[in-house]
Amino acid sequence: MNRNYFILTVLMLVLATGTLFLKQEPKRKQIKPEDLLYEIIQPTRYVTTDQIARIIIEKDPTLELVDVRDAKSYDQFALPNAINIPTDSLLSPNYQDYFGIPGMKVVFYSNDDILADQAWVLTRRMGINETYVMKGGLNHWIETIIQPKEPPEDAPYTAFEQYQFRKGAQMYFTGAKVDNTSQKKKKVIVKRRKKETAVAGGC
Amino acid sequence: MHVHELNPKKTLVAVIIFVLIIIIGFLTLKKPRFTYKLSPEQTLQLLHDEEALFHPYKLVEVLNKKNNNVVLIDIRDRFTYGQGHIPGAENISAYDLTDMKNIEHLKELQDANMTVVLYGNDQLQANGPWMWFRQVGFDNVKILLGGYGYYATHKNSLALTINDTSYLKGTPKYDYAKVASNVSAAGNSQKTSSKKPVVIRRKKKAAVAAGGC
Repeated sequence: MNRNYFILTVLMLVLATGTLFLKQEPKRKQIKPEDLLYEIIQPTRYVTTDQIARIIIEKDPTLELVDVRDAKSYDQFALPNAINIPTDSLLSPNYQDYFGIPGMKVVFYSNDDILADQAWVLTRRMGINETYVMKGGLNHWIETIIQPKEPPEDAPYTAFEQYQFRKGAQMYFTGAKVDNTSQKKKKVIVKRRKKETAVAGGC
Repeated sequence: MHVHELNPKKTLVAVIIFVLIIIIGFLTLKKPRFTYKLSPEQTLQLLHDEEALFHPYKLVEVLNKKNNNVVLIDIRDRFTYGQGHIPGAENISAYDLTDMKNIEHLKELQDANMTVVLYGNDQLQANGPWMWFRQVGFDNVKILLGGYGYYATHKNSLALTINDTSYLKGTPKYDYAKVASNVSAAGNSQKTSSKKPVVIRRKKKAAVAAGGC
């Protein structure tokens, strides 16, 4: 056998055994730290409670609400169709299928926005795209959607438009009927005058 | 007969050059500026680490110069910083955090065992940068709870805030389920009470028109 072929064979064998020790690639690729910081300092991940209310009312199927509080708080109160993934279980393999679905927008929320923001940083590092944070969290949800405050009289027109929307959203989410105008028509009972006896006399 | 069999050395030379190129390639591979020093699991642990937080009442010692191991860094932009900041704080806008000189400055502080406290307008603004620095290995970076906003309203009574819990985040301000059901109940009760049918009574005419014109 030719000596050169022998050397080549040995080289190939060495490289082949080297592949055995390669680390198994993680399923999702973590993004580079520089890119992560760049995205952290952009405010684009924040969505308002009004936007979320609108999306829920419009029944947008691409919305995936994720409640990152603990299971007990979730059981007591949660937004419609939200799923519960406590921050501590974010990395659990059980929940990975909820992330990275093409076309789906994941919106994290918590009591306020710190916990949701932390969940965002973690998942963004893990390379999960299309994730958002509901700014103000449930505290702000109650203040704006469930109990909206009427703007002062000198507020700009847009403030009143927003208030009108919030009142509508409040009815949608609580079933409350607040405005009398929205009620069904009242039944009007008309008592007709009884005709007396036949007209007597006349011209 | 193959060409290389005419000159057996040729193959060997080719192989050596090939291996050399690969080795040179690996050696000159650009070293990334930042790498994650905390695994995602360790980052989760960090979120429960009370040591990584900085409470506003601890600022008293820093402002009195009793504690000289703390460097405050204001991550808001220059303009906002100019309008008011915690005395002694340095200003590194969030957009400039990764500048070479800023990172070197932070490394020096870390080597000197100084604690770095980041703050923004509120806790949320500094939350991301704080988590990021921790993840890339700056284990001396802490976050000021409440941010500048809380400091600004309590700067004359900072020591008293040790008993205050209003700056702590993550707690529900309302009993959500109760508020939501109250709102809906209030609406419904109003509905039932106002559903009375309205009876219209017409005026009876006094008497039959008797007679004529």
